[in-house]
Amino acid sequence: MSENSMSSTIISRANIAVNRFGYGARGDELTQAEKDPRQWLESQLKPITFNGDFPHSNTILIEHAKYQKEKKRQKKQQKINSQSGNMQANSMQANMQSGNMKDQKKPKNFSRQALRNMSVGTLKQAIASSNSVSWRLLDFFSNHFSVTAHGQLMVGLAATLEREAIAPHLLGNFEDMLLAVEQHPGMLIYLNNEKSFGPNSRMAKKRNKGLNENLAREIMELHTLGIDGGYSQEDVIELAKGITGWSVKRPGKERGEGFVFRAYGHEPGSRKLLGKIYSQLGIAQGQQMLRDLAMNPATAKHLCHKLAHHFACHNPPASLLKKMEATWLKTHGNIKAVMHCLFDADEAWFKSAQKYKTPREFVISTLRALSLKRFKDNALLSTLINLGQQPFNAGSPAGYSDYEQDWLGASALMARIDWATMVSGYSKRANAEKVMKLSIGTSVSQLTYNSVMRAESRQQALTLLLMSPEFQRR
Amino acid sequence: MNNTQIINDSDDLSTSSLSRRKFITMTGAGLALLSLPMGSAFALGSNKQVGNQAGKPKIVWLLLRGALDSLHTIVPTFDQQYKPLRPKLSSSFKSPLLPLEKGFALHPSLKNLHQWYQEKSLIPVVAVYSGYPKRSHFDGQDYLESGKAEIDHDSGWLARAIEVKNKRALAVSRATPISLRSSDQVNTWYPSNLKVADEDIYAALDKLYQNDESLRASLESGLEVRGLVGDKKGKKKKRQGKFIDLTKACAKLMVGEQGVDCAMLELGGWDTHNNQGTRLNNNLAELDNGLAELKAGLGKEWQNTVVIIGTEFGRTAKENGTGGTDHGTGSALFLAGGAVNGGQVQGRWPGLKTEQLFQQRDLMPTTNSFSWIGNVLSQHWQFTEQELMQVFPHVKPYNQVLLRSS
Repeated sequence: MSENSMSSTIISRANIAVNRFGYGARGDELTQAEKDPRQWLESQLKPITFNGDFPHSNTILIEHAKYQKEKKRQKKQQKINSQSGNMQANSMQANMQSGNMKDQKKPKNFSRQALRNMSVGTLKQAIASSNSVSWRLLDFFSNHFSVTAHGQLMVGLAATLEREAIAPHLLGNFEDMLLAVEQHPGMLIYLNNEKSFGPNSRMAKKRNKGLNENLAREIMELHTLGIDGGYSQEDVIELAKGITGWSVKRPGKERGEGFVFRAYGHEPGSRKLLGKIYSQLGIAQGQQMLRDLAMNPATAKHLCHKLAHHFACHNPPASLLKKMEATWLKTHGNIKAVMHCLFDADEAWFKSAQKYKTPREFVISTLRALSLKRFKDNALLSTLINLGQQPFNAGSPAGYSDYEQDWLGASALMARIDWATMVSGYSKRANAEKVMKLSIGTSVSQLTYNSVMRAESRQQALTLLLMSPEFQRR
Repeated sequence: MNNTQIINDSDDLSTSSLSRRKFITMTGAGLALLSLPMGSAFALGSNKQVGNQAGKPKIVWLLLRGALDSLHTIVPTFDQQYKPLRPKLSSSFKSPLLPLEKGFALHPSLKNLHQWYQEKSLIPVVAVYSGYPKRSHFDGQDYLESGKAEIDHDSGWLARAIEVKNKRALAVSRATPISLRSSDQVNTWYPSNLKVADEDIYAALDKLYQNDESLRASLESGLEVRGLVGDKKGKKKKRQGKFIDLTKACAKLMVGEQGVDCAMLELGGWDTHNNQGTRLNNNLAELDNGLAELKAGLGKEWQNTVVIIGTEFGRTAKENGTGGTDHGTGSALFLAGGAVNGGQVQGRWPGLKTEQLFQQRDLMPTTNSFSWIGNVLSQHWQFTEQELMQVFPHVKPYNQVLLRSS
């Protein structure tokens, strides 16, 4: 190790397994992985279960309806009060009569609390997890099917999508995940399909409602085929029509909650998507379209490239992609099998660092390395806001960018330095040398080693380690 | 950030105004220790030779991400097809439209823009497009930012323009957007409410990054900008990155001796597939207020400024089934600023009859955004035809008089 060899620092296979595919070492994971890095990775893929008691999307829909109703009631009450002249006296009287001051309080905002708890819950589990590779994979698909918490209802629903539709299929077939996602209230409402009705449906004729292409376009452009997947504007409209009537029940106004197929809003007749005729009736039409899209070779290409690009390197070699696509098509889009194929490929084990950690990876891997326990919920969220990856806030169905030029800017780096300094300030007892050994092991340049060891304070030593190229890259 | 959120027994890290001042001084001193790259745009005191304050022509490029519905922003009230195509949207305005020439009218939320129009500092251009023929936001934005006949993630039109004229630019963003990629005269700035680190950490990191070029470049330019703006610490509670705060800071970074020649701003929220009436009411007001703040902050520099406001494409001429509009083609461009010869609506109106629409659904684009921008570059920054080829290799500028002769 010479001082000038930093950029070509050779990373051990254990380091690659832990940092490139997972969220970095917690405790002695680096040592565990050393025996057989490939085998260690395979053992990392385990189903994800969520801790704690979090509300289901159906509960959020019900609470949202209640909230709206209560707000309406209060508004009406206020109007009556102000009309009768002396508002203050009246409301005071009303309160005294009911004996409950709470009646006049603003109704509780259930959604924001749910979003906060679930966003933090996922982060904390990823930080504490002993199978962080699975949590990275969850984050990948959560960003692939990105939803943004914008507007009262989406604030509540955004975090439920990964829990209810993505996690259960994380190691299964992509097709099942796709169907679960596109029928989830979160996605349907986010991309406006819940009110999209066929122009010739009974619904449209009676109530002057119509088609909305938004979800259909993003299914093809982002979720399945990819922008170059060979579909046309006509295909977008055909898919949009195929999934008309895929909607969400309105609690309080109709019985039940969650996904519903509104047959009277479905565009009648058969559809032609990518040259194939779909003459199924009702919900089966859209479902078959999605199944075919999931197994389209363009989807295999799009998803395998995205996975390889995310985990392995910026420009995955054609040989790697070929293997992954073949596995995808052979196993009916089985995500676990495709990940095994990636682990098996030599092309995924480049001995030099390939990528700069995303803000989320940086924060989670730092907290894993430091085993910080007292990090408060608000602090965790505001960290991600400051570093540019607030959970469920990409603001676009394309999710957060996976290209490092989008987070390696000057301002972004300065924010990382500030945060690393602050965290190091809170980790008074942490020993930088020990943290270095546990997090990056022997894959460290002489320059970094010396800088950390010769730092003027413990805090500075830790900051330098966290900001070192070896910790920032993977 | 409230430091007590993290741990209760931490050191007191709150920053008083005294230590803030001290910090700025220290950063200045710290910078002297670093070896700045040759020709670094932001080296403190590097452009002292600029004597007079006002007078340098400035450009602000504002990209509205998400595809602004131009028909709801510059409303063609004279077009007989407009109301039948949009029964709900055309009756969603909360107050009267603001009249322009030729029967066009601005959305009522654009009060300041309308005042500029009356003062002859605003030109709305109707029915434009970048040449991007499809309807993907992400490709559409990349295309508009690249400014070529193809998408180039590594080179943007504004970066090429500042390279030709040796200007300096700032992106109000965490990382450099495509528009400003491929020039080393670009810096980024974005508000952060983290406490800033001590300056000795920067010196140590600069040493640590000696073999890592990209980290080192980011660090050095980050330090330069921070020395100029100063980050407000401590008491702030506001949501960071509000557009009005961004335009305010942007103006600050553009004025004075060290002011940059051009800046890029971004504002999202325009993908109005549903509930468009209410959403655009709010979003356009946010845009309008932010731009007013930019003007106020620029002070007399406003007279030398052209603000170019564009979006990746337009939206369907017909409203959709959910009170919104879907992805379309032709949209609008705005040119604003004291240097603009405003009070006119530019562009050729294609009409909204079915056969006049692009693919019978979208507003037909009749002119190219880059030709308008090329016109601005040639009149405002004196680009020759040859020089303009380096920025927009595939289009020629229009020759309408868009700017005041100075």
